[in-house]
Amino acid sequence: MIVSWDWLQQYVALDMTPDELAERVMMAGLNHEETRAVGDDLAIELEVTSNRPDCLGHLGVAREISVLWDVSLRVPAAAPKESKVAVEDLATIRVDNPRECPRYTARVIRNVRIGSSPAWLVRRLATIGVASINNVVDVTNYVMLECGQPLHAFDLAHLADRQIVVRQATKGEEFLAINHKSYTLDPTVCVIADARRAVGLGGVMGGADTEVSEGTTELLIESAAFDPMSIRNTARALNLHSDSSYRFERALDPQGVDWASRRCCELILELAGGELAAGVLDTGELPDTRQPITLRFKQLKRVLGIDVPPDTARQILVALGNEPLRDSGSDAIEVLPPTWRSDLAREIDLVEEVARIHGYDKIPEDVGVPMVESHRTEADRVLAKVRSVLTAAGFDEAMTASAVEQPWSAAFSPWTDAEPLQSNIPVLRRADQLRRSLVPSLLGSRQINEAVSNPTIELFEIAHVYLPRIGELPCEELMIALASGGDYFAMKGVIEGLLAALDPGTTLEARPTGQALLDADRASELWIRGSDGKDELLGYLGEVGGKGLEQFDLRSPATVAEIRFGALAGIAVMIPQCGEIPSHPAVARDLNLVVDEAVRWADVERTVREAAGPEAESIEFQDVYRDQKRLGAGKKSLLFTLTLRRADRTLTGEEADQVRDRVVEACAKSHRAQLRA
Amino acid sequence: MALDDYLTELDRLSAAAAEAFAAAEDVDALEAARIEYLGAKSGQLKSVQKQLGSVDRADKPAAGKRFNETKTGIETAFAEAQARVSAGASRKTARAPFDFTLPGKRPRLGHLHPLTQTIEELKEIMGRLGFTVATGPEIEDEWHNFEALNIPASHPARDPLENFYLSTAGAATGAPLLLRSQTSTVQIRVMEATKPPVRVISLGRVYRPDTADATHYPMFHQIEGLLVDRHVTMADLKSVLRLFASSFLGQDVHIRFRPSFFPFTEPSVEVDMSWHDTKQGDAIRWIEMGGAGMVDPHVLEAVGYDPEEFTGFAFGIGVERICARRHGVRDIRDFYRNDVRFLHQF
Repeated sequence: MIVSWDWLQQYVALDMTPDELAERVMMAGLNHEETRAVGDDLAIELEVTSNRPDCLGHLGVAREISVLWDVSLRVPAAAPKESKVAVEDLATIRVDNPRECPRYTARVIRNVRIGSSPAWLVRRLATIGVASINNVVDVTNYVMLECGQPLHAFDLAHLADRQIVVRQATKGEEFLAINHKSYTLDPTVCVIADARRAVGLGGVMGGADTEVSEGTTELLIESAAFDPMSIRNTARALNLHSDSSYRFERALDPQGVDWASRRCCELILELAGGELAAGVLDTGELPDTRQPITLRFKQLKRVLGIDVPPDTARQILVALGNEPLRDSGSDAIEVLPPTWRSDLAREIDLVEEVARIHGYDKIPEDVGVPMVESHRTEADRVLAKVRSVLTAAGFDEAMTASAVEQPWSAAFSPWTDAEPLQSNIPVLRRADQLRRSLVPSLLGSRQINEAVSNPTIELFEIAHVYLPRIGELPCEELMIALASGGDYFAMKGVIEGLLAALDPGTTLEARPTGQALLDADRASELWIRGSDGKDELLGYLGEVGGKGLEQFDLRSPATVAEIRFGALAGIAVMIPQCGEIPSHPAVARDLNLVVDEAVRWADVERTVREAAGPEAESIEFQDVYRDQKRLGAGKKSLLFTLTLRRADRTLTGEEADQVRDRVVEACAKSHRAQLRA
Repeated sequence: MALDDYLTELDRLSAAAAEAFAAAEDVDALEAARIEYLGAKSGQLKSVQKQLGSVDRADKPAAGKRFNETKTGIETAFAEAQARVSAGASRKTARAPFDFTLPGKRPRLGHLHPLTQTIEELKEIMGRLGFTVATGPEIEDEWHNFEALNIPASHPARDPLENFYLSTAGAATGAPLLLRSQTSTVQIRVMEATKPPVRVISLGRVYRPDTADATHYPMFHQIEGLLVDRHVTMADLKSVLRLFASSFLGQDVHIRFRPSFFPFTEPSVEVDMSWHDTKQGDAIRWIEMGGAGMVDPHVLEAVGYDPEEFTGFAFGIGVERICARRHGVRDIRDFYRNDVRFLHQF
C-alpha cells in the first residue's frame, strides 16, 4: 500500500517528520518499504499484512497514526445531497448468488459531465501511481484508496433494461474487460451482468462495453461485498489481478460498503455535477457477526512479560475503535471490536493490539530463562561421525533437490519398485518426482562439475528418499549416497572405513546385485550383521555402467554407493569400551595360494579364519596375481598376511608354522588351493 | 733420534691423519685414509712406531707415552669419521640441494556443505540453550501443515498453487498430502506426543513454489524453536533470541520486534538483530532474522494443551539467508549446484 504524505494530512495532523512517521508505523505493524518523492508529495510504501485490510486505504493508515501520536482522526461525513427522483425508478438490481456476493448496493447519478479531474486529485493519484482517466473513474479509484472499499461506475445508459443481475457466469460466456482483453468464463466466476450479458467480473474488473466515457451522462455506482475465496479463484483462474481483487481477497469492512458509495457519490457530484437519485438499491446489510471480547489485564503480563497499566491498555483499545461495553476497573475490559477489524475476535488479539501500540521495545531482552538439560540426539552423533569420516576421505558434501525428473527417477531405484510420489506442480523445471534414491542427483552434480573441468569430483549427500507406502505417510528414509571418480575398491574402502569408525567389530559382506545403472560385474549389494545378529542390507555399491554414464552425460568413469543411515546407526558404538591390549609380540606369515579364478576372497578368508583358530589376529589381503605361464590358465594367486598372537605368551616360529600349515591344508581341501613357493 | 724430532713427527702425523679423515666424504675415501695412516703393514703410524726404536734410551718412556697418546687420538678421529660417513652414506652419494620450499604432500580433505555448517552451529547454540532437536516428515498431511497451525481452508496459504501437493497421495491414504511448507509441522507432532514443558528445535527442508532465482529456491531449510511451559512470555522469547544471535555472531546483539502476522502465533513479530557492520565503519545495522511469536491459543488447543495453563513461544529462521549473508553467497542456487570449487571455499 502506497500512501501520500499530502493526502494523509486530510485526516490526521502530521507533526512528525516523514522518517519518524515511517519508523513508528513500521514498529506498530506497517512495515516500511521505502519513501520516494513524487512532485511535491511523498509516496510512502508500506507493507500491509493480510490480516489488516483496513490499512489498504489512507483512512486506515491515518487511524493508526492518530492512535500512535494520540491526535484526532477526521473522517469525511460522506453525506451527498439527494434529488427527488427515487433510485428505484431508474434501475433495478438482483443478486442470484448471495454466497459469492452477499451484499450489492447501487446508487444512480444523472446528468453528470465527464471531464478531466482537478489538479489535486490527479496529483494524489499520481503519488500512488494511478493514472488519471476522467473525473468519475478517478473518484472511484480515489475512494478505494481512501477507505479500501473498491467501487465501480457503470454507464447506466449502456446497461440493458437498466438492470444489474449478479450471477455466476454461464459456461463459455465471453467477456471483454476494461483492459480490452477477452475472457472466456465458466460457472465458478461471479459476474455482474445486465439483462443480456456480463458487464463486469464481480470484484475484479469492469467491462469495456459499459465503462464510463466522454459521452456518459448517467452513472450506476456499484459498491458491494464479495466472497474472498470466490474473488481469489477468479483472479487466479483468469490470471487477472487488480487493486480491487487484491482488496476483496481480504476481509473488508462490511460496514464500509455504504459509506464508500455515499462518499463516491458526494465527490462525483462535486467534480462532475449531476443529480443523485434518492435512496439506494441494496440487497441488505450484512449481519453483524462481531462478538464482545474480554481482555483480562493480567493476561498482558502473562503473555508479554511486562506490566502494561490497565489505563494504557484501555486507552489503546478505545483509540483503535473498540467500543467499551463493560469495564471492571483494573481487572478486565469488555469491548466490541470495530467493524473494520475482523481480525480481532479473541482476547489474545487484544493483547497483540496493546503490545504493538504500547511498543515491543518495552519488552526486555535480558530476562533469565530457566536452564534445562538438552541432549544431542543419537542420530546427530552418528551423523557427525559419518560426516567427519567422509570429509577425511576426501568427499565434499553436496545438497540436491528432493524432486527429480522422470528419467532420473527411473534410472536407479533399489529401495522400492513402487511408482515415485509425484507433486502436482514440478518443484523445479520438469522435476516432479520425489526421489527414491539420491544417486541420480549426485550423478547430475558430477556432470555439472565435469562440464566446468573440475579435476576431482568426490561427492556425498545425506538426505531422505521418499518411498511410497499404502495407507500411511510415505517412508522417508535417510540415505548416505556417494559418487566418486575412484573405482569399486576405492569406494568400498571408504565404506569399510566408515563402518570401522562406527563399529570396528562389524564385517561387510558383498553380494551380487542386478541394478541396471551399475556395471554388470563391478557392483554389489552390501550387507552387515546387525546388532540383533541378523544380516541387514546396508546398501548398494558399484561402478556406473556404460549406459548409465551416457544417460548422465558423463565423460569419465564414476562409482556410486547408497547406504542406509538407519543400518549404520543400528551398529554404531558411540561409547567404545577399552579392551585388553596384548603385550606379547605378534608373528606374521605371508601366504601365497593359487586358486581357480572362480574362488572368491571372502570364502578363502572364512576358511583361513576357521583353520587358524583363535590365535589369528588378522588376515590381511595383499594382492591378487595372475600369470598364465607360471600359474596356468584360469588360475590366480592370492597373497595375504596372516598375523597370529597369543595374549598369554609369545608364539614360537614353529607354532606359527603349524598354524600356517593348517591353513594351507584347509584351503587345499575347501578351495583346491596350492601353496606357491 | 732426538726426542724433540720424534715428538714433532708425532704431532705432524696426528694433524695429517685428522685432516685426511675429516676430508674423506665416503666409505671408500675413508678406507684409503685408514690404510695410509692406520694400515697394519705399512701405515704411517706403524712406521712411526718402528722409529721409536731409534730414540735415545733415556727418552724412550716419554716418547712411548706420547706415541700411545697419538695413536689413541688418531684412532678416535677415525672412529668419528667412520660414524659420520656411514650415517651420511646415502646422502653423501647424491648430495643434491634440498628445496625445503617445495609444497607439502596434502591429503585431499572434503568440505562440509555450508548449509550443514550453519545448521550444525545453530543447533549447537540452541542445544546450549536447552533446546533438543526434534524431527518430522517432509511429506505431511493437511492437519499438521495447516489445520493444527490455525490455517483454515479459506486461508490463501492453502491455495493448491502455493503448495506442492502430491498427486498420488489421495489414492494411497485417502487424504491429500503435500511437501511441508514450514517446519512448524514438527512442533505439532512434538506437542501431540509430549506433555509440556517442551523445548525443541526442528529443522530441515521445506518447500514452496517459487521460481528459482538468486534469492529464491523452491526448496530451502528452516530452523524453528519452540518453548512451551507455564509462565513463558515474550520477554523470554526476546531474551532467548538475543542469546542465540549473540552466540552466533560472537558479539553483543540486540533484538528488535516488529509486529507481523502468522496464523500460528499471536502476537506475531518479525525479528531483527542489530549487528555491527565492521566493513561499514562499525555502523549498527538491523538485520532481519526471521519470524516469531507466542504460540496461538488455537494451536495449543489443537494439540490438547490448555492455553489458560500454558503459554509458549516459537520462532523460525531461514537457513539459506543467514548462511548466504554470513559467507557472502550472492546466489542461493549455488547451494544446490555443488560445484566443488564452490564447496571448497567453506
